[in-house]
Amino acid sequence: MGKDRMQNGYGSGSEPGSPNGHHPFREHKQASRQSSTELFDLASKVMLIGDSGVGKTCLLVRFKDGAFLSGSFISTVGIDFRNKVVDVDGTKVKLQIWDTAGQERFRSVTHAYYRDAHALLLLYDVTNKASFDNIRAWLGEINEYAQEDVVIMLLGNKSDSTADRVIRTEDGEKLAKEYSVAFMETSAKTGMNVDLAFMAVARDLKMKKTRKPTEPKFNVADYVNQEKKTGGCCS
Amino acid sequence: MAERKKEADHLPTSESDQDDFIEPDPPVVTNQAVADTFVNIDYEDLVNPDYDSHPSGYIHEIVRQGSHDDDDEPRVAVSSVSDVSTGEESSEDHTEISTKEISQALDEVSKLQHPEVSLEDEEEIDEVDTQEWRQRKKHVFILSQAGKPVYTRFGNEDKLVTVMGVMSALVSFVQDSKDLVRFMVAGDHKFVFLVREHLILVCVSHGAESSQQILLHLSYVYNQILSVLTFSTLHRIFKQRRNYDLRRLLTGAEKFLDNLLNMMDTEPGMLLGAVRCLPLDSQVRDNIAQTIVQNAKVKDLVFALILANNQLVTLVRMKKYFLHPMDLHLIINLVNASESFKAAESWTPICLPKFDSSGFLQAHISYLDDRCETCLLLLSVDRESFFILSECRNKIKERLVKYNALKAISDSLMKTSYSIQQCGISDLRHFLYKSRHMAQFTSPELEAPYLSETEQERLCGLYFYLHHRIHTSARPLKILYTVGPHETLLGWVTQSFELYAVFGPLVTKVAAIQAINKLLRWVKREEDRLFIPNHVTF
Repeated sequence: MGKDRMQNGYGSGSEPGSPNGHHPFREHKQASRQSSTELFDLASKVMLIGDSGVGKTCLLVRFKDGAFLSGSFISTVGIDFRNKVVDVDGTKVKLQIWDTAGQERFRSVTHAYYRDAHALLLLYDVTNKASFDNIRAWLGEINEYAQEDVVIMLLGNKSDSTADRVIRTEDGEKLAKEYSVAFMETSAKTGMNVDLAFMAVARDLKMKKTRKPTEPKFNVADYVNQEKKTGGCCS
Repeated sequence: MAERKKEADHLPTSESDQDDFIEPDPPVVTNQAVADTFVNIDYEDLVNPDYDSHPSGYIHEIVRQGSHDDDDEPRVAVSSVSDVSTGEESSEDHTEISTKEISQALDEVSKLQHPEVSLEDEEEIDEVDTQEWRQRKKHVFILSQAGKPVYTRFGNEDKLVTVMGVMSALVSFVQDSKDLVRFMVAGDHKFVFLVREHLILVCVSHGAESSQQILLHLSYVYNQILSVLTFSTLHRIFKQRRNYDLRRLLTGAEKFLDNLLNMMDTEPGMLLGAVRCLPLDSQVRDNIAQTIVQNAKVKDLVFALILANNQLVTLVRMKKYFLHPMDLHLIINLVNASESFKAAESWTPICLPKFDSSGFLQAHISYLDDRCETCLLLLSVDRESFFILSECRNKIKERLVKYNALKAISDSLMKTSYSIQQCGISDLRHFLYKSRHMAQFTSPELEAPYLSETEQERLCGLYFYLHHRIHTSARPLKILYTVGPHETLLGWVTQSFELYAVFGPLVTKVAAIQAINKLLRWVKREEDRLFIPNHVTF
């Protein structure tokens, strides 16, 4: 049974940041509808969290399939699970992405999965003040349930809707600074910064696994600041 | 002639005209399938506040079982924890509403029903003030005991605070006299109340359903809420704060309630307390079930089932545990109402109130084919078993593809069930046949003249009428033959089956009786294909 688990992701021994982290392992992923058979060196668990309707599923679909889910609102029930393998400087990193339902009643279910998440993408909707105000509560939950060294990235989604925007970029930046987490604005509709968010996570994992003690620590927030595009004019 | 219905009610004791009614032997129950027998939904039970909450603690039982395996200590099968009932048991006869206060309150409500008496002219027009809203056939409202709006089928709850206030006043007024309001009739509208410990459910309908049938629908709605929250959560929340706004916890679940109500308007399954099975060669079905058994040998997996287009393909269950048709309908509704399962493997909590209303089962839900028709559900009590079940799912899918079983399922779906012509009975237009001990039913495709939506609705109404006449608690019937202006109806209920048949208007009684005897023989012949006699166990 332990072997079964390994095929689909982390065994308990290969958790990110564990002192005797396993060497990169090449594995043959089970063929499934979600993704074709691909090889990978590292696997990383990423969770998308945030209020209902902020665009978690849309962000994921944009990243995974390069498409935008327009039209009706498909609310996620419980937790969805998808894989994508990305290439970070020649290293194949499999991102296991858990897309969660934002509704309050699913919180107890999703909490259980914070624990072994390597990265949490915390989303709010720049056109919805309540979703931004709830970010503090989300961060509180993360502190309570997630691992110490979890990578947290705050994402202000729907940045393309300039007309309806109520949360300024500065507000997001300020909040991110206060909690010292990485921050950027994204748009699942235009694709802005979507890949960057996931790639930063993959890169962080790779650095954690391969970093020599003498090298400086990889900082997601700095990396993101370097790479991110700012929205604004592109509407 | 046309305006008056000619009816001939046959009581079981009367011998006239009944010679042709040969009650077929109850199907040979091999392997003592009695275990699969479901107690029919008894309308009288519905008014009992205990009816819907049986926190029988199965989930804990299974979890505990894991800790000391195969310990065969005797267990109490159903230890229903009785609710702290707020509403008293009402006497059997219907509560007469004649008091002045009530009629005043009723006036309030009926004012809202009639557009010409507009209450607030100066207010901007809300949806609830529109003609369209008032003329909806079947309204469903849910409010907390404190009178706070929880859900409305049409319009916005916020705009209905007054109406819901009146409803809660009605309920508590009757409760004051140690009684329970069950329904009221105003013109052609029925107001049906289902009062549960923390919630009041009200249906206002001018459709064909009887008030008892509406009560059944309301109890489905109540169970749907439990399915999302569990009874324990509901209880805990309202115990802490009586005026809690339950909508907070139900966000995103409205679609399940909407979908359930829409399904109940068109699908006879919930009325019958039975599910429809996908017609499938019994060998293919066995193969599918065995594939699941062999590839999902996982501790704590309670139920595994495959659904295709709201029909049951197969169900595998843990020994000793049964899936009640009401719970199964909630599962079907969950799959039917959600688009998100089509995108990826999902892991979601679901409470099955008949199984255990105190806790959640965890459901691994995924479609097995690219067209998203065949859905596999694995229900476990273990919250950590996602990856294990995901692995099982991949193996099951692989085997089913290999055995061409997925193709058999999609072929069966393509064929759109079966035509009434296949039964080879002239004059028979449509029928519903329910096997009582299997809690499953079958019916042919809807064909002319029931192609338009209004005609289908009318047909549904006929079934509601027939079902109501047969099951009415005041005078239950075994056989009912009734001639209407457009069709002749025949209903027959025995120990083992319920049959509701719709004939053309000119059929004679003798011909109709011959026809259903023929139909019963046909059903018997096709039984293996149309029904699942025994659910395989792990």
